[in-house]
Amino acid sequence: MDFNLSSEQELLRDGLNRFLVARYDLNASRAAAKTGSGWQPAIWRGFAAELGILGAPLPESVGGSGGGPVETMVIAEELGRALVIEPFIDTVVVAGGLLARADAGVAAPILAKIADGSAVVALAVTEADSGDHWDGLTTIAVADAAGWSITGSKIVVSSAPLATHLMIAARTESETGQAQDMSLFLTEFDAQAPPSGLHVHAYRTVDDRRAADLIFDGLRLPADALLARDCWLSLTRARDEGAAAVCAEAAGAMRTVLDQTVDYCKQRQQFGQPIAAFQVLQHRMVDMYLELEQAVSAAYLAGLNIDAEPEVRARTVSAAKATTGRAARFIGEQAVQLHGGMGMTEELAVGHYFKRLTALQYEFGSTDFHRTRYARLTR
Amino acid sequence: MDLTWSSEDLEFRDEVRAFLADKLTSDLQQAGRLMTSVYADHAASMAWQAILHERGWAAPAWPVEYGGCDWTLTQHYIFGRETTLAGAPTLSPMGLLMVAHAIIAFGTPEQKDYFLPRILTGEVFFCQGYSEPEAGSDLAALSMAAIDDGDHLVCTGSKIWTTHAMEANWIFALVRTGRTGRKQQGITFVLIEMTSPGIEIRPLVMTSGEEIQTQIFFDGVRVPKSGVIGRIDDGWTVAKYLLEFERGGGAASPALQVMAESVARAAERQPGPAGGKLIDDPAFAGRLADARIRTEVLEILEYRVLATVAEGRNPGASSSMLKILATELSQTITELAMAAAGPRGRVYQPHGTRPGGPVADFAPPSDGYVSGEPWQAVAPLRYFNDRAGSIYAGSNEIQRNILAKATLEL
Repeated sequence: MDFNLSSEQELLRDGLNRFLVARYDLNASRAAAKTGSGWQPAIWRGFAAELGILGAPLPESVGGSGGGPVETMVIAEELGRALVIEPFIDTVVVAGGLLARADAGVAAPILAKIADGSAVVALAVTEADSGDHWDGLTTIAVADAAGWSITGSKIVVSSAPLATHLMIAARTESETGQAQDMSLFLTEFDAQAPPSGLHVHAYRTVDDRRAADLIFDGLRLPADALLARDCWLSLTRARDEGAAAVCAEAAGAMRTVLDQTVDYCKQRQQFGQPIAAFQVLQHRMVDMYLELEQAVSAAYLAGLNIDAEPEVRARTVSAAKATTGRAARFIGEQAVQLHGGMGMTEELAVGHYFKRLTALQYEFGSTDFHRTRYARLTR
Repeated sequence: MDLTWSSEDLEFRDEVRAFLADKLTSDLQQAGRLMTSVYADHAASMAWQAILHERGWAAPAWPVEYGGCDWTLTQHYIFGRETTLAGAPTLSPMGLLMVAHAIIAFGTPEQKDYFLPRILTGEVFFCQGYSEPEAGSDLAALSMAAIDDGDHLVCTGSKIWTTHAMEANWIFALVRTGRTGRKQQGITFVLIEMTSPGIEIRPLVMTSGEEIQTQIFFDGVRVPKSGVIGRIDDGWTVAKYLLEFERGGGAASPALQVMAESVARAAERQPGPAGGKLIDDPAFAGRLADARIRTEVLEILEYRVLATVAEGRNPGASSSMLKILATELSQTITELAMAAAGPRGRVYQPHGTRPGGPVADFAPPSDGYVSGEPWQAVAPLRYFNDRAGSIYAGSNEIQRNILAKATLEL
C-alpha cells in the first residue's frame, strides 16, 4: 500500500500549482465568466502548450502522456484548489475517455486536438425527464439513406457554449427502449451558429461556468457522425470517471476553503478575542476537517478503482461521490457561516468556493443518485 | 387548551381570503412566489403595502390608536397565515415591524405623529444601521462616532449589512455617544435622514448576484437630536427591545409550509434517482416528511409563544429559540428544493425569479428563455440567500449562547 506520489507525479502537481498561483487570478477568471467570453482561452493554451495537462490521461499515440487515474486526480485537485472554471474534466477526462474507447479512426484526430488545446468537446446526455437516471433517456437518432436525424432535448450540457465539438447520446432503436441501444454521435459545433435542427440556449451556471440546453428538432448528421454503438457501458464509465475527477477537484477546493476559514477565524476579533478562541467554533472547524479527510480518502477510493471491473468501479465511485457531496455541503455551508456576512458576498473567495462546492454536488450524478446506486449495488 | 378555530375565526379567515382573492393581483402573487430571499421585489412590496394600508391592514400588530387592528391573537395568526399561503409578497420589516415598535414604546409624541403615519403609507421607508465591519455578533462593540454639537449629533463611521439602503429615505442607527463604562452604555438609537450630506452607499454583491445589502459610510453627518429615540446613551435598551421583535416577532411556519409544499408538488413532476418520480423515492420522501413534520411542530411552538405574549407575559429567550428553529428549517427546505431541481439547480437564471434587488453582471437572454420551471430558477438563489438566516439578526451561535444563559442558566 502506497499513497505517495511518484517523482513525476510530484513534478506534475508542483508545475501546475506554480502555473496557477502565478497566472490564475480569481477575479480575472470571474470577470471572464460573467462579462467576458466565459473562460480564459490563454489559460487553456497554457495548459496544453506549457504544462501538457490536456493530454495527461490520453494515449501517447495522439500526443498525450498516457497517464492514469492518479495523474487525473493530481491535476483535478490542483484545479479545485485554484477554483479553475476551464473545462478540464468535461473535455479531457469525460469526452477524452469516451473517444479513447471509441473507434480510433474517427477518434484519434479529435483526441489529438484535445491534447493540443484546439478542441473542446461537450457531452450531451442528461434530459429533463431522465435527470441522473440515464435509463430514462428518450432522444432518438433515426438512420436513413443520407445519414441520421436526431430528435429530442438535453439539459445543462456543461461547456457546450465553449465547445468546438458536441458528443450526443441518442437511442438508435426506439421501439425496444433498451439501454444497450445507446449510441454516441460526434459533430463539430459552434454554439453561436448552430445548424438547422439544433436550438441552443446558452447560459452561465451558478458556479460561473457555461452550459446550455439543446433542442434537437430533426438535426441532420452524416452517416459517419456515429462514433459508437452499444455505448452504454462506455457512457456510464465516462460518468464515473467524471465523478471521480470531481471528487478530487472538490478535495482541493475544500482544503482551500478550510484553510481560509481557519485563517479568518484566527484574525476576526469579536468580544475582545479572535473568534477561533470559541470552543463551539473550534469544534465546527474540526468537524470540517473530519469531513475533508474523509472526502480525500473517498477521492482515492474512486480514483484507484476506476480501472476495476464495472460493478466495483460503480460502487466505489458512488461511495466517493456521496461522501464528497456530503462533505462539500457541510464544509461549504459552514465556511459561509463562520465567515458571517462576508461569507454571503462575492467580496471574498469563500463565496465563490461555496458556489462551486454546491454545484458539484449535482454533477456526474447527485449525492442522492450515488447513494441510491450504492444501495442497489450492495444489496 | 384548544387548537380549533371558532366560527368567528373561520368567518374572519373567509374575510381575509375574500380580500386576497380580490386584491392580490397575479403580478403581486408572482412577486411573492418567486422571491429569492426573505425580501420581496421592492416595488411589488410597496404596492402590496399600499393595498393593505387602504384596508387598514398594513400594520395589524400596532396598537389600534396608531393604525393597528383590534384583532385577537388567533386573528393575527390567521391573517399572517392566509396572506402567506396566498403568495403575497412580504412587506419590508424594518419600518413596520421594527423601528415603529421602538417609536411606539420609546418615542416622543412628535416622533410618533411624524413617523408612524408615514411608515404606514410608505412615504417614509426605513433601513437598519446596526452592524459595523468590526461589530457583528459583538454588536455592542459598535463604534460609529456621534459627537455632541449642541442641537445635533455629528456622525462619522460605517454601517454594514444594511438591507435596501438604496431604496430607503431614513435609517435607524445605533451610534456611539459615550466611551466610558460598559460597552453597552454610551450607545444611542437615532433616526437619520438618508439625504443628509456626508452619506455614501456602497452596494455589496451577494453570492446570489443580488445587490440588496450595502455598506454605508457616514462622514461628519449632522443629525438633529430630535431624531434620538429614548435617551442619549441609552440606545441599547431600545435595541434589545427591538431585537426580540426581529428574531421572533412573527410566525415563520406558514412560509415554511408554503416552501415545503412547493417542493412536494415539484417532486411529483421531477425524475427520481432510480427512475420513477422523485416523490416516490423513499429517501427523498423521508427527508421531505421530516421537514414537514418539523414545520407542523414549529407552528404549535410559535403559537405557544404568541399565546404567552397575548397573556402579557415576556416571551424572554423564546424568540432566540424560534429564530434558530425557523432559519435552520428553512435552510433544510431550500436544500430539498435544490435536490428537486436536479441538474437545473446549477443554472444561473435570476431573470426567471423576482429577486429583492438589482442583479450585478447579468444580462438575461434576449428571448427570455428559462431552463425548466420558475421554481427551478429560484432554487439555487434561494439556497444561497438562505444561508444568511443563521447569520443575520444575531447568528445562531449567539442565539444558542442566549438560550444557554437565559433559559438553562448555564
